[in-house]
Amino acid sequence: MDPFFYLVIIAGAIAGASTGLLGVYMVGMRMPLIGPCISHAAMAGAVFGTLIGLNPTTGAVIASVVTAACLTPIKPGRLRLDTNVGLAILFFLLLGLTFLGMGLMPGSRSEVLGLLWGSILFVRTETVFTIAGLSLLLLGFVAAFNKELKAILFSRSLAAMTGLHESFLYCVFLGLSGAILAVNLKLVGGLMIFSLITNPAAAAYQVCTGYRAVVAFSVLFGVLSAVGGFVVSFYLNLPTGACIVIVSTLIFAFAAAYRAFSNYRG
Amino acid sequence: MVTEGSLHLNGARVKRGGRFILDIDQLEIPAGTFVGIVGTNGAGKTTLLKVCCGLVRPTAGSVMLGDAHLHTISSWRRTHLRRYIGYIPQQAEYNAELPFTVREVVAMGRASIRGMLRRLNRHDYKLVDEWIERLGLGEQVVQTFASLSGGEQQKVIIARAMVQQPTILMLDEPGSSLDFNWKFELSRIVETLFQETHTTVVMVSHETNLLPPVCQRVVLLHRGRVLADGDADEVLNSEMLAQAYECKVRMVEIAGRRYTVVEEGQ
Repeated sequence: MDPFFYLVIIAGAIAGASTGLLGVYMVGMRMPLIGPCISHAAMAGAVFGTLIGLNPTTGAVIASVVTAACLTPIKPGRLRLDTNVGLAILFFLLLGLTFLGMGLMPGSRSEVLGLLWGSILFVRTETVFTIAGLSLLLLGFVAAFNKELKAILFSRSLAAMTGLHESFLYCVFLGLSGAILAVNLKLVGGLMIFSLITNPAAAAYQVCTGYRAVVAFSVLFGVLSAVGGFVVSFYLNLPTGACIVIVSTLIFAFAAAYRAFSNYRG
Repeated sequence: MVTEGSLHLNGARVKRGGRFILDIDQLEIPAGTFVGIVGTNGAGKTTLLKVCCGLVRPTAGSVMLGDAHLHTISSWRRTHLRRYIGYIPQQAEYNAELPFTVREVVAMGRASIRGMLRRLNRHDYKLVDEWIERLGLGEQVVQTFASLSGGEQQKVIIARAMVQQPTILMLDEPGSSLDFNWKFELSRIVETLFQETHTTVVMVSHETNLLPPVCQRVVLLHRGRVLADGDADEVLNSEMLAQAYECKVRMVEIAGRRYTVVEEGQ
C-alpha cells in the first residue's frame, strides 16, 4: 500500500477526533454559528495571508484566534436579538472578506480555491504533526478543565453564578478551536469543515446518555467521518470536503433514525 | 475569601431605561440571619439578589459581601467569591436538552468549590448523592435532566446550589415551578439547613407562607425601594401589604406561617 495512503488515514483520524471533540461543546452550547464564524475567519485569514505573502496557515491561525477572542463576550441575553443573528452578521462579513481577498488576488487562484474545498494532496508529514500537536493541546485542555467545561456546556450563566471563570475558559477554548480549524482548513476545506464539527457531535447527542458517552461517541463519529471521507476521496479522486460531508451526514442520519426508533419503541 | 455571609448595601441604585429599578439607601444583612424579600412584580427583588451576587453592577452606591466591595474588586476575584454564594435563579438559561444525568448536573455545583485542575473526589460525590436523596431525586439519579418535569428540574438546580455548601444562600422564587407539597418540603429543607448551619439565607417569595417560621425578618420592596424592613409580624400585616400591592389583603397565620388572602370586591 502507498505510504501516502497511511499518512492520509492518520491525518483523517486526528482531524476527525479533534473536530469531533470540539463539536461536543460547539453544538451543545446552542450557538451553531460560532464554528462557521471561526472557520470563515480562518479562510479569510488564509486568503489575505496569501495576498500579502504570508504562509496561508499562519494567516488562518491569526485570523481565527483573533475572531475567537472577539466572540467570547457574545452570550445569550446581551443583544436585543437572538445571539445567532449577531453571529450570522459576522459570518457573512467574513465570507465577504474571503471573496474580496480572492477578487483582489492576481494570477491563478487555484491555491485559495483549494482552501475552500480541501484536498488530501495537501497532506504532508509536518501537517499531520501540527494537527496532532494542537489536538493533544485540546485534549489536555479538555482533560484539565473537564468539570468546568461540562458546567459551561450545561449553562454559561449558571456556571458564572457558581463562581466558575467561564469567560476565561470559554475564550481559551474558542482560541484553541480557531487554531485547530485553521490547520485543518487545507485538508477539509473552509466551506465544509463545520460539518465535521456539527455532524459527529449532533449524532452523538442523538444516541448517548451522559457526558462521557457523548464525548467518546462524538470523537468516534468524527474519526469515522474524516477517515471515511478521506478514503472515498483517495480512491475516487473527489473533493475531500464534499466526501466528508456526505459520510458524516450519513452517520447523523443513522443516529437520528436510531433515536426515532428508540422513541417509537418507548 | 468570604469568611462570613454578611451583606451591606449602601446607596445601591440600578438605572434601566431612564428609571431606577432599584434604589436602596441602606440594607444590612448580618451573617447567619434569614431574611425574606417580598414585593410586587417589578419591585426589584430579582435585581436586588443579582446586585448582591455581583451579577448586576449598580449604577451608584456600594455592595459589600463579607469584607469585599463586590463592584470595585477585579472581575476575577468577584467570580472567585461567587463560589460561596448559592444562587438559585427564578429562571436560568440552560441547555436542558443535553443528555446530562441528574447526578452530573448536581455535581456541577462542586466544580468551583473543588478548584481548577482538580477532579471531584469521593467526598464531593457523597455530598452530591446526599442532596439528591434529600430532595427526593433518588429514583431519577441516572435519568437525563431533559426527561424530568419542570418541578423536578428545579429541584436539581436547588440540589446543585446546595452542594456548594454556600456561606450565603440566595433563593429567587425557588418554589415557582413546584407543586404545593414540594413547595412546603423545599421551605422546610431551607429551614432545616438554616437551623443546622446558620448559613445566611435571603429568600425572595411571592407567597408569604413559604417563608418559614425561622424567617424573623422581612424586607418589603415597592418600586425598587424598601417600603418596610423589620420583624416579620410588623412587615407582613394587612396595612403594609395593602399599601404595596394596592389591594385589600388579610393575613392568616397557621402553624407559624403567614398566608395572604386577597379580599374580593376591592
